Amino acid sequence: MSSPVIAVTDLEVVADRRRILNIRKLHIASSEVIAVLGPNGAGKSTLLRVLLGWRSANHGVVRVLGEDVLRARGLARARLRRRVGYVPQETVVDHASPLTVREVVAIGRTGTAGLFRPLRTRDWNLVDTWLARMELLDLKNARYAELSGGERRKVLLARVMVQEPQLLLLDEPTAFLDLAWRERIVTTLDDLYRQTGVTTLLVCHELEVLPPSCRRVVLLRGGECCRDGTPEEALTDESIEDLYGSRMQVWHGNQRHALLPIADGAD
Amino acid sequence: MDLVYWLPVLVGGVLSGASCGALGNYVVGMRVPFLAVCISHAALAGAVFGSLAGLSGPWMTLPALVTAMLTALSLGALEGRSRRLDTNIVIGILFSLSMGLAFLGIGLFGVLGRSDNDVRSLLWGSLNFCRWADVRWIAACAVLLVCFLTVFRKEMCAILFSRTHAAAAGVQVGLVWTAFLILTSAVLTVNFQTVGGLMIYSLITNPAVAAFQLTRGHDRALLTSVALGAASSLLGFLTAAWLDLPTGATIVILSSCLVVGAVLWARWMRFSAAVRPTC
Repeated sequence: MSSPVIAVTDLEVVADRRRILNIRKLHIASSEVIAVLGPNGAGKSTLLRVLLGWRSANHGVVRVLGEDVLRARGLARARLRRRVGYVPQETVVDHASPLTVREVVAIGRTGTAGLFRPLRTRDWNLVDTWLARMELLDLKNARYAELSGGERRKVLLARVMVQEPQLLLLDEPTAFLDLAWRERIVTTLDDLYRQTGVTTLLVCHELEVLPPSCRRVVLLRGGECCRDGTPEEALTDESIEDLYGSRMQVWHGNQRHALLPIADGAD
Repeated sequence: MDLVYWLPVLVGGVLSGASCGALGNYVVGMRVPFLAVCISHAALAGAVFGSLAGLSGPWMTLPALVTAMLTALSLGALEGRSRRLDTNIVIGILFSLSMGLAFLGIGLFGVLGRSDNDVRSLLWGSLNFCRWADVRWIAACAVLLVCFLTVFRKEMCAILFSRTHAAAAGVQVGLVWTAFLILTSAVLTVNFQTVGGLMIYSLITNPAVAAFQLTRGHDRALLTSVALGAASSLLGFLTAAWLDLPTGATIVILSSCLVVGAVLWARWMRFSAAVRPTC
């Protein structure tokens, strides 16, 4: 059996005397798409920051792609990050920023290329390939700052894909998007997985944004994993009520999932 | 016009404008334009205490460079340590500290009964007294800046977009950003003594803001910013000579006019694109 892409053991993160993460064991196998769900303050983003080496832990071992993230420093950490594609929730960009879409996507090759070496033809070909795959070729010379929220999200996904990552970490990839763009991003994520088979961990609030390829869900509450299983096992009426304190009905169908309100008086 | 006297002033001013334009592309793009003021006033504090210690002329550059670099490195070390310490907040803290130290030093001249003429000229710069020796230092820093931006072009482009994204893509952000801060402090220290704090701030901010209005793409914005910085100095100098106005003030006002012109031009282009019939 191959070693897990992510192996978290006895992880404990404490901030301001408050335990914000306490995960005894979380292993993610290669080519798995896993969603981490939980309410605000459950520790989802902190978990991503720990996996990226941006947050230290008080206790535990975290191995990402075989590297001990909590002990990696400097160049070793930078090398690890080149193998991990991370899309943060929101990027604040100056509206006057001059960078074009093609330049932003090319940032994904910057670390891989290394210091003192300009991007080569292969790098730019890869950038153009992903611009085409993400249907962004028409926008390649547009300013990134002038794009809509959904277009920006696609550009950032293209940016991580040109990194040729072995692991994708996505922090609420559909946050702040309207319904149409949300669906487009969900489809894009599903297509990305089917084309590349890249191991993906996505953090989100809503069940509706889980792509069909996501076959494992971990629920976080108060920094602890309270459920881990297939979406049908983990996402039940009871687990949602337990997690969010609201009575809702969970719908599963066509490998998609949604929350439905329960009518007054209904049992 | 006595060209032998004014040529070093002209060349020094143009090189200063070009260097500040290049730096401005990044500090404005990263929304930290006050960085230039902070570092140049740290250099002032160093120069003041250097003068108090008996240094004069070009020797005052040494303590100025030390304090400017210490400030830049402190900024690099402090920012990002905590979510409560935003870059602009750290710049504000370091700027007020630098100003406090500089004015404390200037006050000590009176207490010690010594003349503070040397350091007072640093407050406003002395472009009209720029000599070839000064130009050599300014040119050396400009060459260093060109080398740095050529070697680290792709890293600086990534950092300009977002340090978070750059770090996530495996760019050694800490290393490149610290090197940029050190180089910035060297460029500003050398230029500050010639052109003064106000002119540095305007030459860093205005050409970059105008370039961002006029162009798209990292390289074009950088080159346009450099060209506008140099043009501000050149046209400001010529206008001042023609109308017998103070040189520094004319350059500052002209660079501000460039921003207004660029904004109007960009708006006109957007308007004409919107009303252009499509078929």
